[in-house]
Amino acid sequence: MTGNKIKVGFYSLTGCAGDFLNILNMEDKLLEVFKLLDVVEFALASSKVVHEKVDVAFIEGSVTTQKDLEVLKKIRENCNVLVALGNCAVWGGVQAELTGLDAKDLMKSVYNTTENYYSFLGEHKAVSEVVKVDYELPGCPIEVEEFLELLIDVIRGVIPEFKDYPVCVECKIREIPCLIVERGEACLGPITVGGCKARCPYYNAPCIGCRGPVKEEANVAGELSMLLEKGWKKQEVINRLRLFAARYKDIAKLLER
Amino acid sequence: MLKENFKDFFETLKKLGEVHAPVRRGRLFSFTKVDSPGEVALNYNRTMLPPKKYFVKPFEEVLKIKVGKGYELIVEEPKSLVLLGLHACDINALRVLDSVYLDEPQDDYYQVRRAAAIVIGVSCEPDEYCFCKSMGTDYAWTGFDLFLHELGTSYLVRVGSSRGESIIESMSNIIGEPTKEDFIKLRDLELKRSRMFKKILNTSLLPDIVDSLHESEVWVVFSDKCVSCGSCNLVCPTCRCYDVTEKVELNLQEGVRVRRWDSCFIRSHALVAGGLNFRPTRLDRFRHRYNCKSSIDPRTNLPFCVGCGRCSAFCPAGIDHVNVLNAIWGLA
Amino acid sequence: MSSAYLPKLAKIVEVTEMTAIEKLFKLQFVNEEDAKSFTFKPGQFVEVNVPGVGESPISICKSPTRPGPLELLIRRIGRVTNAIHKLKPGDVVGIRGPFGNGFPMEKMKGYDVLLIAGGLGIAPLMSVLQYVIDRREDYGEVTLLYGVRSYQEALFRDMAIDLIKHPEKACLRTFLSYERDDPVFVSLMRDHPENVRKGVVTVLFECADPYIKPDKVCAVVCGPPIMYRFVLKELAKRNIPPNNIYITLERRMKCGIGKCGHCIVGGATAIRYICKDGPVFTYSDVLSVRGLV
Ligand SMILES: Cc1cc2nc3c(=O)[nH]c(=O)nc-3n(C[C@H](O)[C@H](O)[C@H](O)COP(=O)(O)OP(=O)(O)OC[C@H]3O[C@@H](n4cnc5c(N)ncnc54)[C@H](O)[C@@H]3O)c2cc1C
Ligand code: SF4
Ligand code: SF4
Ligand code: SF4
Ligand code: SF4
Ligand code: FES
Repeated sequence: MTGNKIKVGFYSLTGCAGDFLNILNMEDKLLEVFKLLDVVEFALASSKVVHEKVDVAFIEGSVTTQKDLEVLKKIRENCNVLVALGNCAVWGGVQAELTGLDAKDLMKSVYNTTENYYSFLGEHKAVSEVVKVDYELPGCPIEVEEFLELLIDVIRGVIPEFKDYPVCVECKIREIPCLIVERGEACLGPITVGGCKARCPYYNAPCIGCRGPVKEEANVAGELSMLLEKGWKKQEVINRLRLFAARYKDIAKLLER
Repeated sequence: MLKENFKDFFETLKKLGEVHAPVRRGRLFSFTKVDSPGEVALNYNRTMLPPKKYFVKPFEEVLKIKVGKGYELIVEEPKSLVLLGLHACDINALRVLDSVYLDEPQDDYYQVRRAAAIVIGVSCEPDEYCFCKSMGTDYAWTGFDLFLHELGTSYLVRVGSSRGESIIESMSNIIGEPTKEDFIKLRDLELKRSRMFKKILNTSLLPDIVDSLHESEVWVVFSDKCVSCGSCNLVCPTCRCYDVTEKVELNLQEGVRVRRWDSCFIRSHALVAGGLNFRPTRLDRFRHRYNCKSSIDPRTNLPFCVGCGRCSAFCPAGIDHVNVLNAIWGLA
Repeated sequence: MSSAYLPKLAKIVEVTEMTAIEKLFKLQFVNEEDAKSFTFKPGQFVEVNVPGVGESPISICKSPTRPGPLELLIRRIGRVTNAIHKLKPGDVVGIRGPFGNGFPMEKMKGYDVLLIAGGLGIAPLMSVLQYVIDRREDYGEVTLLYGVRSYQEALFRDMAIDLIKHPEKACLRTFLSYERDDPVFVSLMRDHPENVRKGVVTVLFECADPYIKPDKVCAVVCGPPIMYRFVLKELAKRNIPPNNIYITLERRMKCGIGKCGHCIVGGATAIRYICKDGPVFTYSDVLSVRGLV
């Protein structure tokens, strides 16, 4: 720590950079935030690749290429606290459902070459599968409010708190009619970790699980059989489940067929 | 009171405070602020959130914190509130909540709002989820100011408190003396209502059975279906669990303490520092909820479940409170 | 407005490092009135607030018979307690309470007192220990069974060693068990083979048995959750009446006053709030309320 500013780095692996964009978008707070930080690297804001020691490293994106892997290990060595931000870093992202595909085939279909130009690892891993992660903030993209709370805790050296309740809790708190009960929709709210204030159900759309499952708690089998009873087809449900959480163990199991 | 006088009745209530009553919202009902009698849906089945939301808010800031300098309770000026159209189950549920939140030391936030609320009950007919009759909570003895008993073309107005007494005194022009015919009609309607209950739960020895059949397979079967969404707790008029968190502003000097309705289906509910969880599995939590709900409030001797049917009606997995307990009784 | 929800400011006046993860905090209320109105019983706890971080229930680690600042022994383990450990003399925290029923010191008058503490369980029992020492004439024989992991992890180790070496000082018998060897405790055991054993706290029953008179004794137990089952079994074996066995329990807590529901335990025939009906319960309660230990 320099003075009472903490040294932080923001690093992008493979992802859409949406999480950092969200951070940059909080214009009103941004100046205030940066007063408290000494940002040595912002992979999105500047492209220089220094690897200074930092107090806190924020990572977004999944571990998809050999380069991601190497950079990530380097970052871990150079930081005290490592924070994974967003669905890609926490769960591997939407790309994680491509797990099991051959790199060559992929390159062929996308770039029309068989050379593994990006040194694709063959799968899209969550950061925690590769290095030790201190904190994980889910969301696709992350919620600015939650990020600020996390940042403030990290700045003052307090162990942050994370939500461990599902979207349904926030849905009920806002008195939103339940889409499963009222309309038989395939809502993933019961197994998805809260924090979005049930944004989708509030706008009448079922939760698609973008925040990822409630860790170690989500009853995937229960969700599946509940939706089967509502008349959904197994494959339809699986397609929804895999979208943001293909690497969650119980969902991965369903994908093994 | 003749129904044609309801309009005047309503206007008088409005003078006593902000009137909140069940209002239709799509297929559902919700306690909402109403300005005209036409909005009130007195023949509703149930609201999703119980009247509890007026006294312990689902989510609220409760304490202002000046880091290192002091604290300030965030208690608003009491605002007169008229809660119109509570069913007997919800009135009994409020009595249970009172017995918890007003027990010494009292919950100040609750107390201030509760004292400022006039409660007016209304009679109801059970639907496929109601089982208040089984729980003995289908009638409100106390816990309200006025109670409107439906008599077809009129309401029989029952007084439940001195405050209620003075309210109707001011309405002598629209509320007359009940006649012998009114009472006969009331008796017949109540008997008819009593026969309408389809959900029946045997409650003699219920606490003993729930407690002693702790190892029953029934809990396993249902808890496998349960998705731990917490809805059953959040819609329950007698669930009283809340969680508390604290945070500070970017200036690191000012903070707030926030409380939010909680559910015992959530992992952290019984988790203590160091990682020990006193109810580690969904099965433990499922059973815990049924134990909590099947017990008796020692202060009011009312059951902690008033049979409102909300948990059954709003469970996405279709788990029905009475069906679970009947399965425990070996009846399903 | 005075309210059970409103923390009172207290200033840290002294911090003592007890082990690598435990510190003893001495606190003085900032407001004179608050200091005067704060009265408590042994076994009660307070909710300690680090402003903007959160609250934790912590036992009062001293007897009301002793004047001076409030004392809290706090283990660093999570969000709030880590934040507390960073505080220094002069820093200010919030205190609510005291809460809970506490030990029935009046009812225990005339009885022998058998204190059984495991690890951090010594914190709430310290209030009882000091109380009976200060009101020595009100109680019969006092015996302390104290189980620790190792010398390094032992709380109040100097006090324990002193009590073993000089039992006459406080007129009480002390027995100590430890699990991992180290020179200090090994030599203590060599010098006092009657009082010191290697193993978990239950090994001390063998040493203390000659002094346990089942019909004359009240047992007071506090330790980690797993300890209770074993200790209660030993006490029951010795035919101590269930009503004379007191334990103090721990559950997640948010309010401390019987509202937030986190500390609810029990089955449908009897549910209890640990914060309000407890944290002190008797072995009779354990026998009639599901899941207490
Ligand atoms: C009656 C009672 C007396 C206690 N006395 C002491 C004592 O003298 N010394 C001591 O070091 N510890 C004591 N504890 C345990 C202490 O309360 C917890 O270790 C502490 O709350 C952990 O808080 P945390 O924020 O650091 O941990 P986290 O794991 O971050 O917990 C977050 C929050 O959960 C709640 N919580 C977590 N664990 C517990 C717990 N075990 N008990 C109650 N609430 C919990 C608190 O509100 C806490 O702030 C006592 C607990 C109880 C119930
Ligand atoms: S709409 Fe979805 S998120 Fe909301 S309660 Fe129903 S299942 Fe849960
Ligand atoms: S347990 Fe269910 S039926 Fe009983 S009071 Fe609660 S919501 Fe109503
Ligand atoms: S059922 Fe669960 S959420 Fe409801 S009051 Fe009991 S412990 Fe709390
Ligand atoms: S509402 Fe149904 S699915 Fe949700 S926690 Fe309750 S029983 Fe389980
Ligand atoms: S701690 Fe809130 S009810 Fe016991």
